[in-house]
Amino acid sequence: MPSSASHSESESAEPSQGDAATASSQEGESIADSEGAGPRPEGASDGVSAPLGAVREPQRLHPLTLLLRVGQSLPALFIILLPTLQNPSSENVFSVVFSVLYGVVALPAIVLQYLRFSYRITPKQIVIQKGVLKRQNRSIPVERIQNIQIEENLVARLFGLAKVTIETAGSSATEGSLEYVSKSDALDIRRAVRSFQHRDLSDEGEAEETGEAEGEMTGETLFAMPLSRVLLSGAFRFSLFYIALVFSALQLVDPDLIMRRVLRSQGRIDQITEAMAAHPALSILASIIVAGVLGWISGILVHLARYYNFQLWLDDDKLRKRHGLFTVTEGTIPLKKVQALILRTNPLMRAFGWYELEVQTVGMNVDEQGHRVVAPFAQYEDILAMGRRIRSFDLPDTFGSVSPITIRRRFFRYSLALSAVLLPSVYFWPTGWWAPAGFALPWWGVSLVPFLLGWAVLQYRNHDYAVQDDGLYIRRGVLSHYLWIIPTEKHHVFHTSATIFQRRLNLKTLFVDTAGAATFAYPEVIDLPAEEADAQLDQLYRRFQTLYRTRIEALTGAPDTRLDEDERLHLPVSDDS
Amino acid sequence: MENSSSDAAVSEVLAGDAFHALDASITSIWTIKLLGLTALLFFPVLFYDLTHLFSHDAWVPFGVLSGTVLALGLLYSIVWPRLRYRAWGFALRPEELYVEHGVITHVRTVVPLRRIQHVDVSQDLIEREYALGRLVVHTAGSRSSDVVVPGLPLAEAERIRDEVKRFILEDPLTEDPV
Repeated sequence: MPSSASHSESESAEPSQGDAATASSQEGESIADSEGAGPRPEGASDGVSAPLGAVREPQRLHPLTLLLRVGQSLPALFIILLPTLQNPSSENVFSVVFSVLYGVVALPAIVLQYLRFSYRITPKQIVIQKGVLKRQNRSIPVERIQNIQIEENLVARLFGLAKVTIETAGSSATEGSLEYVSKSDALDIRRAVRSFQHRDLSDEGEAEETGEAEGEMTGETLFAMPLSRVLLSGAFRFSLFYIALVFSALQLVDPDLIMRRVLRSQGRIDQITEAMAAHPALSILASIIVAGVLGWISGILVHLARYYNFQLWLDDDKLRKRHGLFTVTEGTIPLKKVQALILRTNPLMRAFGWYELEVQTVGMNVDEQGHRVVAPFAQYEDILAMGRRIRSFDLPDTFGSVSPITIRRRFFRYSLALSAVLLPSVYFWPTGWWAPAGFALPWWGVSLVPFLLGWAVLQYRNHDYAVQDDGLYIRRGVLSHYLWIIPTEKHHVFHTSATIFQRRLNLKTLFVDTAGAATFAYPEVIDLPAEEADAQLDQLYRRFQTLYRTRIEALTGAPDTRLDEDERLHLPVSDDS
Repeated sequence: MENSSSDAAVSEVLAGDAFHALDASITSIWTIKLLGLTALLFFPVLFYDLTHLFSHDAWVPFGVLSGTVLALGLLYSIVWPRLRYRAWGFALRPEELYVEHGVITHVRTVVPLRRIQHVDVSQDLIEREYALGRLVVHTAGSRSSDVVVPGLPLAEAERIRDEVKRFILEDPLTEDPV
C-alpha cells in the first residue's frame, strides 16, 4: 500500500535557488513526458485520442482571470477607503494613502501571480507551477485523481470562465485548483484526464466513448429535481443565513449613523419597548414567529441557490452531478470510492417521509465535510432505491436499541449543563430585575427539567443499530436524524470505549472508523451493554476478516499463506514471561 | 480495570497470541515528563508567592499555594503513570494489532493490518535514554487515524514494524486501500 504523499513538490524560499530547482525538475519531467508521449501521436493518428490531446506546453490561465482577480480585490479597497467615502476631509487622508499603497502592491501582485502560474496536462500527470516569492512545482499523478470539479460562479459565468479543482484520494484537501480557465478548456481538461485514466484501466482497448465530446453529462439519470421540488425542499429546512447577512450589512454602515438614527427615533422606540414590556409573552411569541419566518424564507433561498436544477447521473462506475443557480457545480464520484451511505432528515421532513441522501467519500470536499449530497430531497422509498444503485445493501427489518440506562446518563448530563448555566445566573441576578411570582427569572429555568427528561427519552428512542453480513447500520439523532450504512468492505478500525461513568453502569460505546467521516455526527453506537458491545465488535471484525479471507482465496485459489503457523506474525518471545 | 467479563468475549475470537504489557520503564518516562510539567507550573506559583511574601493583604499564608501545587503535582506524577501503565496492553496477532488503553476512558481497538497505510517507529529524547521506542500506526480512518503504542524496547518496535510491513507488502489483494 503506497503512502498517501505522492505528489512531488519542490519548494524554496530563495528565488534563485528555487528557480534552479524548478528548472531541473521541469527538465526531468519533460524527459519523462517525451518518453510517455513518444508513442502517443501515433495513437492519436489512428483516431483513438484525436480530441483528447494533452496540453503539453505550459498553459496560462485565462487572461480574464486578471480582471476577475482585480474585481475580487475591490471590496478590500472599499473597506480601506470607507472613512474617506463617509467623511471626505483632510483627516482621512491616511486611508487614501493606504489605498494607493494597496494599489501599488496588490495590482502588480495579481499580474505577477498570473504570469508565474502555469499548468500542463500530460498523459501521466497534471503539473501546476506557481508562486512569486516561493515557487511551487506540483505534479498530480493522473491515476490518483478522484474528482475533477468544475465550478462556475455568477461572475465567471458571465465571462464564460470556470474554476477547476482537482481532488485526489490521498489528501484531505483540494490538491490543485485552476482559477480560472475558459469553460471549454475546463471541459477539455476533464475529458483528457478521464480518457487517460480509462486508457490505464482498459489497456488501450477499444476507442474511448466520445459521446461526452461536448462535455455533456452522459449516463442514466438517477435523480433530478424540478424547480417545484427544490422550492419544496427549501420549505422543509431552516437556515440562519439571514443573521450572517444582517451582520455583514451592518458592518458596512457607519456606527455613528445608526446611533443618530436611533436617537432621532427615540420616541418611537420607547413606544415599542413599552408595548413589549406590557405584553412580554406576546412579544416573545412575535419575535419567535418573525425569526421563524425569516429562517424559513432564507432556507428556501439558500436551497434554491444551491440545488437549482439538480441532476445526478449514473455513468458506468461513477456518479456525476451538477447543480446550482449562481454557482454551477459539477462533480464526479467513483462508486468504488463511496465509503458509506448516509440518510439524513429532520423531524419535519420525516413526518412527511422526505429524506436526503449523502455519500461519504475520501477525496474530501471541505465544504461538504467529506459528505456529498447526491439527492437533496426525495421520498424514503425512492432514496432507498437510489442508494441501492450506488451500493447494494439490505436494510434490516429490525434494529436493536441501546441500553435504556442511556436515558439516565443523558438526563444527568443535560441537567448538569442546565445547572451550570442557571446557578451562576441565579447568583448574579440583581435584585429588582425581572422576577415573576417572586422568583428571579433563572429559577424558572428549573421548570425546563421535565423537558430535559423528555429530550433524553427521545434521544434513546431515536438511537438503534443493526449488525449484518453486509455491514453496520446505525440510526441516531432527533433534530438531525441520521441513518448510516457502513459496508463491511469499508470498515477500517474497530473500537469499543468506556468512560469511568459508563464503566460504573456497565455500558460501552461501539464505533467503527471509516475513511473520510465527518468529525461531528459520528456513527457511534452509544451506551450499549458492555458485553453486547464487545460481542458486536467481535462479530463485526470477524465478518471483516471473513470477507477479505474469501477474497484472497478467490483470487489466489488458496487460503492466505501469511496466516500459516511459521509465516504468521510473532512478537519476539523476550522478557515478559 | 474490571473488564474480566468482556475480556472473554474478545479473546474468544482473537485468541492465540499473548497479551503484552508495555515495558515497565515507561512509567519512569511518564513520571519524568509529568514532573517537568509540574515544575513548569510550580515555578510561576512560587514566584508569585515570593513576590507577595511581605505584602499585607496576602490572602493565604506564604507557601500554601506553591506547596499545594507541588504536592498535587508530585502525587499526580507518581500515581498517574502507574494507572496508565496498568491500563495499557497490546497484542500483535496474525491479522490485526489489538490495543487496549486509557484510564478515564478505556478504549479497546482492533486495527486490521491490511488497513495500515504506513508504520513509524519514533523516539524522543527521554525515550532514547531508556532505549524505548514508540510504534505509530497510520490508518485511513478519520477519527483515530493514528494508533500509538508507546514504551516498546526499540528493537522490538522495529521488529513489529518490519513484520507489519512484510504483511502489507505480501498482500495478494492489490486494490486501493480506501
